[in-house]
Amino acid sequence: MKGIKNKGLDRRTFIKGATGLTFASILGESLPPYGTLVHASSEADLAIAKGGSPAQLLEGAMAPLGGMGRFVKKGQRVVIKANIAWARTPDQACTNNPDLLFALVKMCYEAGAKKVAVWDHTCDNYQFCFTRSGLKEAGQKAGADVLSGHGRNVYKRVEIPRAKKLKTAEVLRDVLEADVFINFPIPKQHFATELTLGMKNLIGIVWDMEQLHKIDLHQCIADINTLRKPDLVVVDAIRILTTNGPKGPGKTEDRGEVICSTDIVAADAYSASFFKNPRTGKPFRPEEVRFVKHAYDLGLGQIDLSKVRMKVNAA
Amino acid sequence: MKKFLPFLRRGVQGLSFAFLLYLVLRTAFPLESSIPVDLYLRLDPFIATISALAKKEMILRMLPAFGVLLAVIVFGNFFCGWFCPMGASLDFFDRLLFRNRRGEKPSDDASLRRLRYGVFLFSLVAGLMAFQVMYLLDPISLITRTLVIVFYPPSVFIYNALLPEIQKLFPEAPYFLSTLRQPLFKVNLLIFLFFVAILALGFLRKRFWCRYLCPLGTLLSIASRLRIVRRSVTAECTHCGKCVRDCPVGAIPEKRPEHYRRQDCIQCFTCLACPPKAVSFALKRPTWKGSPELGVDLSRRYVLGSLCLGGFSALMIKTNPLQTESGMRNNRLIRPPGALPEEAFVSVCTGCGECLKVCPNNALQSTLLEAGLAGLYTPRLVPRIGYCEEFCNFCGRVCPTEAIRPITIEEKRLLQMGVAHINKTRCIAWDTDKICLVCNEQCSYHAIVGDEKKRPIVKEDRCTGCGICENKCPVEGEAAIVVYSSGIQKKLKPEPENNNPSGS
Repeated sequence: MKGIKNKGLDRRTFIKGATGLTFASILGESLPPYGTLVHASSEADLAIAKGGSPAQLLEGAMAPLGGMGRFVKKGQRVVIKANIAWARTPDQACTNNPDLLFALVKMCYEAGAKKVAVWDHTCDNYQFCFTRSGLKEAGQKAGADVLSGHGRNVYKRVEIPRAKKLKTAEVLRDVLEADVFINFPIPKQHFATELTLGMKNLIGIVWDMEQLHKIDLHQCIADINTLRKPDLVVVDAIRILTTNGPKGPGKTEDRGEVICSTDIVAADAYSASFFKNPRTGKPFRPEEVRFVKHAYDLGLGQIDLSKVRMKVNAA
Repeated sequence: MKKFLPFLRRGVQGLSFAFLLYLVLRTAFPLESSIPVDLYLRLDPFIATISALAKKEMILRMLPAFGVLLAVIVFGNFFCGWFCPMGASLDFFDRLLFRNRRGEKPSDDASLRRLRYGVFLFSLVAGLMAFQVMYLLDPISLITRTLVIVFYPPSVFIYNALLPEIQKLFPEAPYFLSTLRQPLFKVNLLIFLFFVAILALGFLRKRFWCRYLCPLGTLLSIASRLRIVRRSVTAECTHCGKCVRDCPVGAIPEKRPEHYRRQDCIQCFTCLACPPKAVSFALKRPTWKGSPELGVDLSRRYVLGSLCLGGFSALMIKTNPLQTESGMRNNRLIRPPGALPEEAFVSVCTGCGECLKVCPNNALQSTLLEAGLAGLYTPRLVPRIGYCEEFCNFCGRVCPTEAIRPITIEEKRLLQMGVAHINKTRCIAWDTDKICLVCNEQCSYHAIVGDEKKRPIVKEDRCTGCGICENKCPVEGEAAIVVYSSGIQKKLKPEPENNNPSGS
């Protein structure tokens, strides 16, 4: 009997492993998400780059975070949730900047990504969205798969244990399963929810998006964000839409900024200030956008920017 | 050479059908085919003649059809036997299903033979007055419609079902293939049954449909009487009756195989497989005269009867309350963007289904009785199934008869097909205090604005009736915002705030 080694799990290994995992998960809660060693090399949790070409902006905002190498390791699958929701042209600022997407995909590949997939569940017909926005071309040119969530087979029904109202949803499988998840929003004015920011972008991973409006849109946005914390948030604020959002066309503003962060609430809190609150006439304070507040209450990140390590890189 | 002719013909038929299939599949986004995807319909002289008569003007797209007609006049009816995709399918299914029935005695079918002339006259009169029965019977329109509405959606269904298995072959690219949007068409079963019925008629006679019903075949028969390619039989004929049995359209009389019904011959050259090699085809001087006993027995009574029946049926339809002309207009009947005014539309639309196929959102559906009896199988926009995409003008670009005019994107974006109305008792924002505004968010033309309590209000002077609001409305069942037809499509005023594509 001694000679026969059980190739499966024996009791001892199980106990060892289980103990290790239990402690790891207990400790993991209190530790910074990427471990102290990596963290030391980054100067900020939220970096802003101003002025320059899209590629330079991305470079400038990524450097203080420790570069793409901190997030993407060799051989990993990267999923980027872009905003390709509408059949609008790039200059109308209703969808992401194609040059920035190109630079982002390139950067992922340079960091060693095996495959980069750019996803969106579009509102208009996906074929028109992908071509008119120029994002399919840009993504493919950089070597990414630009994929659409129009078919139900790419979704998976999951429980959302931390959610307050949206307890279950059908979400893009690839977003949940990929090694690295990058949220790539474009901030826009939005009539129903005041603003479209990083967290609102995640509505586009849900199959029956319109149903969320029936429940409680703000809470659902926060709830869906508890599902998977993005490893990286890249906010495309090169040109933003300030009226007639989210579909536009409306007034646009050239801000020339790219914000990179590991904290989605902080990124949204920062980008909210780009827009004027019609009630107060002053820029939005983060708490005034209800889904940002809800997300903070759920412990998804820091709403108080004074507590966030920030760095501005101006060209 | 003679040995290979049947194979050659089957090959050409197969290719012709495959080409139609290819064109139907290419009738989709991004619609950049260099060959017009509605080519077969454009080559159909029957549709060309009738739609020009109904529209009372020449349709430029349909001009190639007259080239076909001219070729048939000169060389004889080569179309039905070699190129017609409907004929190809009938030949295929006749061989597949009813092979054992070979050796049947060709009976005297003089009374059946004149049926298609009667149908032709009936549908001509009825069609020009009100009822588009002729388009339902046109083989090209029929086969295109059947392919699009009956066979396309199940094919997509099967493809989507097999997709996970196909995907497993490419483990390194897990989302390499994407599902196709499942098209849904309301009248699919009816059109399927009609097609099956036509195939089933093949049990009685080979190519029953072509011989006794097809209106295009009738037109080509009449036109091909002057043909220069003609059959002749030498004295070596032994009256064995092989050609009589084999002729797919029964053009050779049983008792006198050395003659043939010239107007019925489809030049398939099957009769060349003659044991004593008595049959040959050669170029001859055109003549109108044929032997009287081989013609069709079209008595004056028969012709008048057909004409009267057609006219009377049209009158019955005109005086039926289902008919839109009688004032009971269906306000949910939204026509595609650029459609002709209703009366002209139903008389020119052939119901071929090209626009249904090309619509990227599956928004266009065939009517059953929504447009009255006269508007059977014409396209309508059903927003709850799909909405009219903002930067798309595909339907007008593929319509062979220009029943949907080919309009530019700019023109289309300013065309009002209908107007959205909010049912405030069902609307989430009006009925509860929740924030919804999906309709406002989705509206492409800024035609839905929110009030101070974030409740939607429709601006009628901007609404095009595209139906995206009705389509995306999250209310279960019937939407809380519904598009009603605006009668005649009208042009909206361009405003920088709404319909200007470049924005401000």
